[in-house]
Amino acid sequence: MGLKTLDKIAAALQRRPFELEQLRKEGKRVVGWLAYNIPEEIIYALGLIPIRVGQGGDGRLVEVGARHISTKNCVFVRHALGQFAEKTDPYIKQLDLVAIDATCIQLYRLEELISFYFGYKTVVLGVPRNFATKEGHEYFRKEVECFTSKLEAFAGVTLEKSKLEEAISIYDGIRAAIKTLYRYQSLDNAPLRWRDVSSVISAGYNLDRQNYLELLQELIAEVEENLTESPAGGEIEARIFLSGSLIPPGDTKLVDIIEQLGGRIVGDDLWSGLNFFLNLEIKEPTPYGVADAYLDRVPHGSLPYLDLKSDGRLANLKHQIQEFGADGIIYHTLRYCDAFTFKAGETKDVLGKLPFLEIHTEYSGSDFEAIRTRVEAFIEMIKSKKEIAELV
Amino acid sequence: MSFSGNFFAGVDVGSLAAKSVILKDGEIFATGLLKSGVNSVESGLSALNLALDAAGLKKEDITYIVGTGYGRVSAPYANKAVTEITCHAKGANYLHPTVRTIIDMGGQDCKAIRIDEDGAVVDFAMNDKCAAGTGRFLEVMADVFKVKLEDLGAIALSATDTVPMSSTCTVFAESETISLVARGEKPENILNGIHHSIANRIAGLFSRVGIASDVFFSGGVAKNTGMKSAIEQALKVTIVRPEIDPQLIGALGAAVIARSFAKKEGLWA
Ligand code: SF4
Repeated sequence: MGLKTLDKIAAALQRRPFELEQLRKEGKRVVGWLAYNIPEEIIYALGLIPIRVGQGGDGRLVEVGARHISTKNCVFVRHALGQFAEKTDPYIKQLDLVAIDATCIQLYRLEELISFYFGYKTVVLGVPRNFATKEGHEYFRKEVECFTSKLEAFAGVTLEKSKLEEAISIYDGIRAAIKTLYRYQSLDNAPLRWRDVSSVISAGYNLDRQNYLELLQELIAEVEENLTESPAGGEIEARIFLSGSLIPPGDTKLVDIIEQLGGRIVGDDLWSGLNFFLNLEIKEPTPYGVADAYLDRVPHGSLPYLDLKSDGRLANLKHQIQEFGADGIIYHTLRYCDAFTFKAGETKDVLGKLPFLEIHTEYSGSDFEAIRTRVEAFIEMIKSKKEIAELV
Repeated sequence: MSFSGNFFAGVDVGSLAAKSVILKDGEIFATGLLKSGVNSVESGLSALNLALDAAGLKKEDITYIVGTGYGRVSAPYANKAVTEITCHAKGANYLHPTVRTIIDMGGQDCKAIRIDEDGAVVDFAMNDKCAAGTGRFLEVMADVFKVKLEDLGAIALSATDTVPMSSTCTVFAESETISLVARGEKPENILNGIHHSIANRIAGLFSRVGIASDVFFSGGVAKNTGMKSAIEQALKVTIVRPEIDPQLIGALGAAVIARSFAKKEGLWA
């Protein structure tokens, strides 16, 4: 939409691989991490450079990954494995260490394979299954403590309280800024849309965090300067909320289809989207404080939670749907992402009458038309429902 | 003679057949049905021309045309494209306003559609990942037994037993069928088993969208009486029979929608 800061972010991203090369020559070390619960604050506070890894959308890389792992593993993990195997990605090839959290067991497998087959130096962060219990918290505290000492040994420095405080403040700023941008994209009078915010989040995987925060604040200021009068009674819109398995950078198939068919994405509870930035309040600048805060976030779908009434994931989903004024939900599930696929039914039941469409897909173009028909019918369904409501 | 403003058409190009319906004064005036070829534009036009010829009309006499089916994406003859899911809903509602659930089995996919009293879709599920439960699957089976596709259902209904069929994948089901024949099982019993295994698979589609009466069966496979009966047993429902060729329901719905669009766009009062 012609926002100058978006161009600035794109330019910063272009320079970044070269910048990393220079920093590494100066002795800095790069830590790639994936995918849901690695406390980046600790990596940053130790003077290491965090890079969030894990893209999608390239069927060829899935095939490359599938040479080393069963095809019954999720397509995201196979894709990541393909990237690690090829080592041609400008970020992957600069990683000095890879940190992986075992939130989802498939990621744990990924860690084993990249260290065994491709010789990556790795560190794993265990995540409790029973995250809501006291024992779960105890376990995770110990895990984060152990993770910290491994990183300290790698970085050759000890974690300083002041450095951690500094890091927390930067990350708090980033989280607040992303939440603000989400609010703006859902409005009719703001000059940016969900897709813009999504590309800004993707840029945040790689950019220097301090620089990123400044760019986000600049973007918010520019958005606020360019707010227009609310347009009165435009065309009937299908406001779509995305949920389910992550939609990482590079995977644009579903988003492209929705937008080509005139649907408007207004929100999400994806781990590649808003969820990652929600409900994280670090009360104490210590590894224990960080551990508690990470565990109290919206629970990830791969963590079992059987009591639907108190499930924080579902409560958050309902809340966000309301916040963003969504008309319907597209629940996206990746092939062999059992974590989210098995939860599709219960999610639909809990949401009651809200139009719900499940799209089960992978990183290939073969199902493009099939998805198109479903999404088109879903948008028709929402629009005709709104049309009737407007007549009454 | 002036027909101006009174005719609306729906054209449904599917993978196996192209269909068209022309409405006059809100009533079905003419229809067209033929096998679709590789060129979906030509197939759609031919189906439309069939109905136009039957009605004694020219294309210019039609106020509004809606294209549907997989051929809707490139249908230069149509004013608008609407998905087959929405069209089947409107078509079923036009014929039977009490219908709340539709099973649509076409050439390459199968759909479970829930609708409200206005014929608006409230939920749907679709299977198009494999050929099981589609016209294509039944075509392959008719070929294996060297019988006509349209006789398949009646043969299944004459069975004295049901031979369970474990595969619903076309390729595996074909070889499983051949080994069942070699084992000496009667063709009608095997066919009965095939119909029941497809029906059970379709029942799975409804686990997500639910079922409410009345239940309507549309699409080419709906002509198969054996399939109708197997689905009735699997879903424990009675299926409402359309009084027109069930293969035309999508095109009919498209024509009904064409009329609404014409009204909305001020082309018809
Ligand atoms: S949550 Fe799903 S997409 Fe993410 S790693 Fe696990 S299986 Fe793969």
